[in-house]
Amino acid sequence: MNNNLHFRQSNITSIKLILFLVISIFFLIIDNKLELSNKVRENASYLISPIYKIAEVPVEIYYNFKTHIESKNSLIKKNESLEKKIFIQSGIIQKIPSLKEENKRLKKLLNSSNSAMSSKILIAELIKVNLSPFSNKIVLDKGSENNIFVGQVVIDSLGILGQVSEVNNNFSVATLITDPGHALLAVNARTDKRIVISGTGDNRFLKAKFISLNEDVMEGDILITSGLDNIFPEGYMIGQISKINKNLQEDFLEVNVTPSSSLSSNREVMLLW
Amino acid sequence: MVIFSKMNFVVIVALFLGIILNILPFSDNINSIKPPILLLILIYWSLAFPNQINLTYAFVSGLIMDVLLIMPLGYNALCYTITIFLILLYYPQIRLQSSLNKMLSLLLILIPFFLMSTIGNNFLKINYNLFDVLTSIFISVIIWPALFSMLRFIRQKYIS
Repeated sequence: MNNNLHFRQSNITSIKLILFLVISIFFLIIDNKLELSNKVRENASYLISPIYKIAEVPVEIYYNFKTHIESKNSLIKKNESLEKKIFIQSGIIQKIPSLKEENKRLKKLLNSSNSAMSSKILIAELIKVNLSPFSNKIVLDKGSENNIFVGQVVIDSLGILGQVSEVNNNFSVATLITDPGHALLAVNARTDKRIVISGTGDNRFLKAKFISLNEDVMEGDILITSGLDNIFPEGYMIGQISKINKNLQEDFLEVNVTPSSSLSSNREVMLLW
Repeated sequence: MVIFSKMNFVVIVALFLGIILNILPFSDNINSIKPPILLLILIYWSLAFPNQINLTYAFVSGLIMDVLLIMPLGYNALCYTITIFLILLYYPQIRLQSSLNKMLSLLLILIPFFLMSTIGNNFLKINYNLFDVLTSIFISVIIWPALFSMLRFIRQKYIS
C-alpha cells in the first residue's frame, strides 16, 4: 500500500517535471520575441516595487547611519570643496550660451542641420537591488508616472550610461551601453569618423566594431555620440579608446573602449528629453 | 485536507525572506559570488516536507525570481525545477546522511543546476564568469550546515 502510494506520488512528480520543463523552455524561446517578462512586470509593477523597496531598506539604513555619524568637520570640508567645484563649473558654463550661438552660426555657414540641446533633465535615483551578477541593467525609481518612455537616454555626470528599455508604473529598467545586445553609433572626436560601439557584457570596457585595418585611430581618442541613431543626442561622451589590437589575419581592428561614465557605482542618474 | 496550513505559511514566509536576501544589494565583488540562497531554502523545505513542498513551489518561485531579476522568463524556473526534482528523487537517502555527507550531496545536486544555468547563459548570450559561478556553488555548500540548522530551528519552533 505504502509502496503504491509512493509510486503514484513519483508518477505525478515526473508528469509535473515534464510539464514545467516544457513550459519554461517554451517561455525561454518565445521571451525574446514577445518580451513576456516585461509584460508580466508591467502588470504586476505595484506588487514588485514594494519588494524592491523592502530589499532597499538595509542599504538605506546603512547610508543614513553613515551620514549620521559623519563628523561635522568632515561635512564642512565636503561642503567647502563642493562649493568650490560649483563655483568653477558655473564659471565654465558662462561661456555656453555664446558658444551655442557661435555653433549655430557656423553650422548655418556650413548648411548643416541644427542639433538641438535637450531641454529638460530629470534626476532619477537607482533602486539598489541586486540583479543577477552578470546583467547589464539598472532599475530606476521613475516610471510612466513621470512620462518616461522607452528609448529615453540615461546619462550621468561623466557620460552616456544607456537607454530606458522598459517602463512600468513606478519604476523603469534601463539597459546599459555595456549590454552585449546594445550598440550605438559614435564619432571619433579627433577624426570625425563614425564608429559602431557595442557592449561586451563587461562593465569595464566596450568594443568598437568594423574598423578597417588602415583607418586612423589612436589610443586615447575620445568617442562621442553621433546623433545619427535617433536615440542618443549628439555630443555626449561615450568613452576613450584604451587598446588597439592589430592582427593582419583579421578583417578589422580589435579596439577596446573604456566607458567614461561610472557604470557600476552610481546612486543617481539623469534622464534627458 | 487543509490547503493552507501553518506549515505552508511558514514556508512561504521563509521563501519570501529568501527572495529578499537574493535581491539585497551588495558590492560588485560579493554580488558575483553570492550563493543562490532562495534555492538553498527551497532545498531545505523540500527535504523536510517532500510531499507538500514540491515542484510547483520551485517553478513558481523561479518565475518570481525571473520577473524580479529582469531575466528572460523561465530561466530560474527551469534551474530550480530540475534541482528540486533531484531532491524529491533522493530525499530518503539524503535525510539519513551525516552533515558532512549532506554537504557532499548538496554539491552533487547543485552540479545540474550549474550546468543548466551555464547552458542557459550561453543560449541567452548572458555574459558570465565561470570561476565566479563555481565559487558561488562552493560557498553555498559551505554555508549549508548553518542554514540547515537555522531552518531546522524555525521548523521545530513553529511547525509540528
